[in-house]
Amino acid sequence: MSALPPIRVAASGCLTAFGDETASLAALLAGRRALAPRHVHGAAGGDLVPIALCEGRAYDETLPPSWLPFLRALAARIPASAPWGSPRHPVFVTGSNFGVSHLHAYRAAAGAPGHLDYGTPAECVHQVAAALGWGPDITIFSHACVSAHLGLLQASRVLAAGLADSALVFSFDFISAFVAGGFHALKILNADFPAPYQDRASGSIGLGDGAAFAVLTLDRGDFALGGQTLHNEMHHFTANRADGAGFAACLSPLPALAAGRRIWLKGHGTGTLEAGRLEAQTLAQHFPEAPLVSWKGALGHTLGSCGLVELALVIAALRAGRAPGTVGAAAPAFTPQVAFEPFSLDAYDAVVCTSNAFGGAHAAFLVHHA
Amino acid sequence: MLERWITALHLEDAAAETPAETRERLKSLFPPGATRRMTQLGIALGAALRPLAPTEDDTLVYASTYAETRALEAYLDSFPAPSPTLFQTSIHPSSVQQNLIQRQQALRRFFPVTGGPELVAQALLVALLADTPRALLCGGEERGGWLLEQGRASDRSFAFALALSTESAGALGSLRIENSDTAPSASPAPASAPSFAPLPLPVFFDHLRERRPFDGLVAPGRRLVLRWSS
Repeated sequence: MSALPPIRVAASGCLTAFGDETASLAALLAGRRALAPRHVHGAAGGDLVPIALCEGRAYDETLPPSWLPFLRALAARIPASAPWGSPRHPVFVTGSNFGVSHLHAYRAAAGAPGHLDYGTPAECVHQVAAALGWGPDITIFSHACVSAHLGLLQASRVLAAGLADSALVFSFDFISAFVAGGFHALKILNADFPAPYQDRASGSIGLGDGAAFAVLTLDRGDFALGGQTLHNEMHHFTANRADGAGFAACLSPLPALAAGRRIWLKGHGTGTLEAGRLEAQTLAQHFPEAPLVSWKGALGHTLGSCGLVELALVIAALRAGRAPGTVGAAAPAFTPQVAFEPFSLDAYDAVVCTSNAFGGAHAAFLVHHA
Repeated sequence: MLERWITALHLEDAAAETPAETRERLKSLFPPGATRRMTQLGIALGAALRPLAPTEDDTLVYASTYAETRALEAYLDSFPAPSPTLFQTSIHPSSVQQNLIQRQQALRRFFPVTGGPELVAQALLVALLADTPRALLCGGEERGGWLLEQGRASDRSFAFALALSTESAGALGSLRIENSDTAPSASPAPASAPSFAPLPLPVFFDHLRERRPFDGLVAPGRRLVLRWSS
């Protein structure tokens, strides 16, 4: 774990299928679910699977990309106080898909060659940067569903080293037949809706559009990141060690850092059974008094952006004084700590946020009032 | 100024080899049968990375612009019945995971980085800001198929792995990054008109292979100095 000074979050925001963080938090507190059945291959049909798209966004790829107006709207909310993408104000873009769905549109759906301009992560981010007016100081991380955590950590390190005055971490993942087809082939995206941390016969996930930003500094902002930690099991591409050692290795530095704080937990909780059980049990071992929630049963899994989307929602919840419960799930849970209903944050002053990814990758950080 | 010493360097230049040719040439470096399930980039990267014997306490930075091109091509061609194996193999950090999962080698700090011409500069900064005594910087590309025909893949296959230490003992050379622009209000240069000379990943690989020194502005306000011991 990095020994970093407290890193402040000067601004944050997100976009989910419900809208911005305010609308998303309200929907989560009301127990609403954005996921809806959709044909996995879009216009080409296929099984119905739970997917949550931003309102009005086309699932099948378009030119210009259907997701670009949503990114523009989100980016318009980033404070314009700094020339983003310049050496003292670098940008860290994180995600897992970027514009790869456009390769699917070009190849599998015989689309226009213009789709290729978004096909690689570098070209996609270049297009986004040009659209948003960013300079070229952009670092791109792609580590599946822990990508956003890497962006936050590297941004923190750059700030701590005095190499920047502020840093913008930006993340996006929009759902397409490319990624839905892959998870469906792995059989974890199926007809069932996700029920994170619920002890049931079979697991399932949902997928959701997600994008977010966070502006990090050393000295501005009401909230701070602490204890950013990573661990990569390298045990199996799509499974974790059965003893939960990977989850424990990631979390082990955090209880000491959280000592004296009253913690609640925003877990990864996609709806898969084995990973959900291991995650819930390990979190309960490390933070036995802390309630645990996941919001992916409502939002769907926003993939590489989930760490940043959920950070923005956590901060919105801290401001509102109320945390949403685990929407979409019901008793019995894997552990008694799982909270299904919203709860007041009056009794808490910090939250541990976790994400997991392919390859047994784990990431976590602590968020508290600055 | 950020600096580390190059204490080990391993390269694998598969150039225009087919995946089958690379597999046949390098399979003896891997457990019997293992390379049948690996991509060309996974094999080349493994050949370069394995001698460095990554440990849980190293930082590993992986840099690739295109990464698993062949698996991605094959995954796309598997529609409308997408292959689960190709889906998981096509993800960006797959080549590292193929090798470390095979060895069951856990790793706490793993940073898969991607990008265009500025990739080398950004990946190096990640490595030089590592909080571990040893940082491993690896990367590479594999020659594409139909994506190459569309100009969206590498035209050559290669891999490299560097051990970067805070200690100079036995060093082969050094890597240093200096910030040449510290003005807080510096305006961003337009992305289309960079004021620097990028160092693309294949060119960086060639510098490593030829042990050529380098000194230049490789990213906005960022000077890279690569030196070799005599």
